[in-house]
Amino acid sequence: MSEQQLIKRYTESIDKIAKEIERDITIMEVCGGHTNVIMRYGIREILPKNVSLISGPGCPVCVSSQHDVDSMIELAMKGVPIATYGDMLKVPGSRYSLDDARAKGGKVFEIYSTTEVIELKKRYGNIIFFGVGFETTAPMTTFLLKNNVCVYSVHKLIPPALQVLVNGDIKIDGFLDPGHVSAIIGVKAYRNIKVPQVVSGFSAERILRAIMILLEQIKKGKDIVVNGYPEVVTEDGNLKAQRELREYFYIGDSEWRGLGILARSGLEVKDDKLNAKIKYRDIIDKVPLPKKSACRCGEILRGLIEPLECPLYRKVCTPENPQGACMVSAEGSCAIYYRYGR
Amino acid sequence: MKDFITLSEGSGGKEMKELIKSFKFSFRGDWNNFDNDSATVDIGNNQLLVFTTDSFIVDPVFFPGGDIGHLAFCGTVNDLAVMGAIPLGLSLGLVIEEGFSKSELRKILDSINRISTKTQIPIVTGDTKVMEKGKLDKIAINTSGVGIINKNELLDKEINIGDKIIISGGLGEHAVALLSKRFDYETSIITDSKPLVEEIQAIKNQIKIAKDITRGGLASNLNEICEKNKIGMLLNEEKIPAKNEVRKVVEMLGINLYELACEGRFVCVVSVENAPRVEGKLKEFNNYASTIGEIIKDDKVIIQTILGKRILPDPTGRIVPRIC
Repeated sequence: MSEQQLIKRYTESIDKIAKEIERDITIMEVCGGHTNVIMRYGIREILPKNVSLISGPGCPVCVSSQHDVDSMIELAMKGVPIATYGDMLKVPGSRYSLDDARAKGGKVFEIYSTTEVIELKKRYGNIIFFGVGFETTAPMTTFLLKNNVCVYSVHKLIPPALQVLVNGDIKIDGFLDPGHVSAIIGVKAYRNIKVPQVVSGFSAERILRAIMILLEQIKKGKDIVVNGYPEVVTEDGNLKAQRELREYFYIGDSEWRGLGILARSGLEVKDDKLNAKIKYRDIIDKVPLPKKSACRCGEILRGLIEPLECPLYRKVCTPENPQGACMVSAEGSCAIYYRYGR
Repeated sequence: MKDFITLSEGSGGKEMKELIKSFKFSFRGDWNNFDNDSATVDIGNNQLLVFTTDSFIVDPVFFPGGDIGHLAFCGTVNDLAVMGAIPLGLSLGLVIEEGFSKSELRKILDSINRISTKTQIPIVTGDTKVMEKGKLDKIAINTSGVGIINKNELLDKEINIGDKIIISGGLGEHAVALLSKRFDYETSIITDSKPLVEEIQAIKNQIKIAKDITRGGLASNLNEICEKNKIGMLLNEEKIPAKNEVRKVVEMLGINLYELACEGRFVCVVSVENAPRVEGKLKEFNNYASTIGEIIKDDKVIIQTILGKRILPDPTGRIVPRIC
């Protein structure tokens, strides 16, 4: 069957099952990559009225805390060179972004591959890598730690965040689990989270298929994890990468923009000598904590409220001056609402 | 707005447009068309003089299929061309970093000389400055140009609901060629940098407006046309042309095809009746020329994908690859 025919078949099944379920269904796509494809093909628009997709905390740069960004800016402005991925540079701290810090004379380098950091280290011996991303990019950071590059890690783990979203008040009926993250951690990592889940690939056809399987589960009242991306994802994941992560990182609490500090949800550098948070503790400890914001990202991410119910939305919080993760990401719920003029 | 300049304000998207809007010049003399690619002044005989300027910085200075000199020549020529004008002559301002290789400078000037001879558009005046090592990255070039046009041929005609939108060739080739050095991949794609005078002259009597696609890409152009003319657009995504290799690279890097710069492509708005003829003519120059959509009563650029619809917003920020 061609991709077009498959898409047609899945959309028809989705319509049929949604009608049979009758009530409103909310599905969260956890991964920013999925959100991107959903946006690109306008998938939200073609789903039945009682099925809505909301974007989860799966854009790693967007969930980096303001305080972590502020700390990096402070170091860059004090002359310590900072290297990180391009999309991290535009994420605002409490006042500025790393892009702004560079404009103001801070030493900030945009890299695409961690091998570039090794080159930079030859010129700037004290360079810090601002390590951001989920289980997918963290193994690349271990390569730098092996090469004695100092790292400020804000690497985060997906399953603890899902667990938090599931505990407490929640209006999420199922998760589209990330594809690339799952390639590393394996399907087994989600087995303890009792919500219908499907690990999905990244084509429109794969995503529609995953939504169809989720709806079938919801209809039957099952909460199992289905691997909808078997060409890349296995039950156990990439054991070598998992070993490397355990060797160079330990699991610690981590602050997520919009969700607060989540227990055991981040990766911290084991070696104190290469851990920028310890090495530069004197400077970082003096960086003031951002003022408590009225941002209600946490509730939006949980599917409890709509962006319009947040007091900051459109007034203080805009795509040019974003406050929370949902506006920082062009694909976050608030940014989407804003773009559609709501 | 921040009290210092950021790279986003030079990226051709929303921030740059806002910065330029904040520039206020109170004396305008007899000139018109300040918000167009070139300004115009009436010189009698039913003719307009058309004037524009553009500055060029590019890293690397040499890239697959072109160099900064070629870009600097074509960029200004194209800003005149999209008004419908015949370029008369260009100025060339060079700011060079101390220590820059003379053989590379010669290569850049040779490249300008070749394209100037080929198009019969002369460089008529210029200026050269040298800056201390480290105060500038290699070389910056400014070109200004004047052209001439009959008043009634100025491509600034009224757009109507139902008019068609046509682009003159595949998107993203310049960006993919340029980025191959930055991201270290091999590609057979070369820059699309070229003068557009011939193409536009061939269709100028059948089109209403034209815009060359540069920084900010197609997304920036189309949003600008919508805002200025208080209209919307509905595009058919399957009709938006790009070479397969370009699509693959864009996908791999996680960047948006519609925000990538071209240096030899334009988009034009055409009446329904003229659309097939214009598309046919443009296909003689580039087989990827395509009618991509139409003008609708709205205020946004909307794309019909193979599934649902989505909005194509004016780009913001700089183009950076996504990690998620």
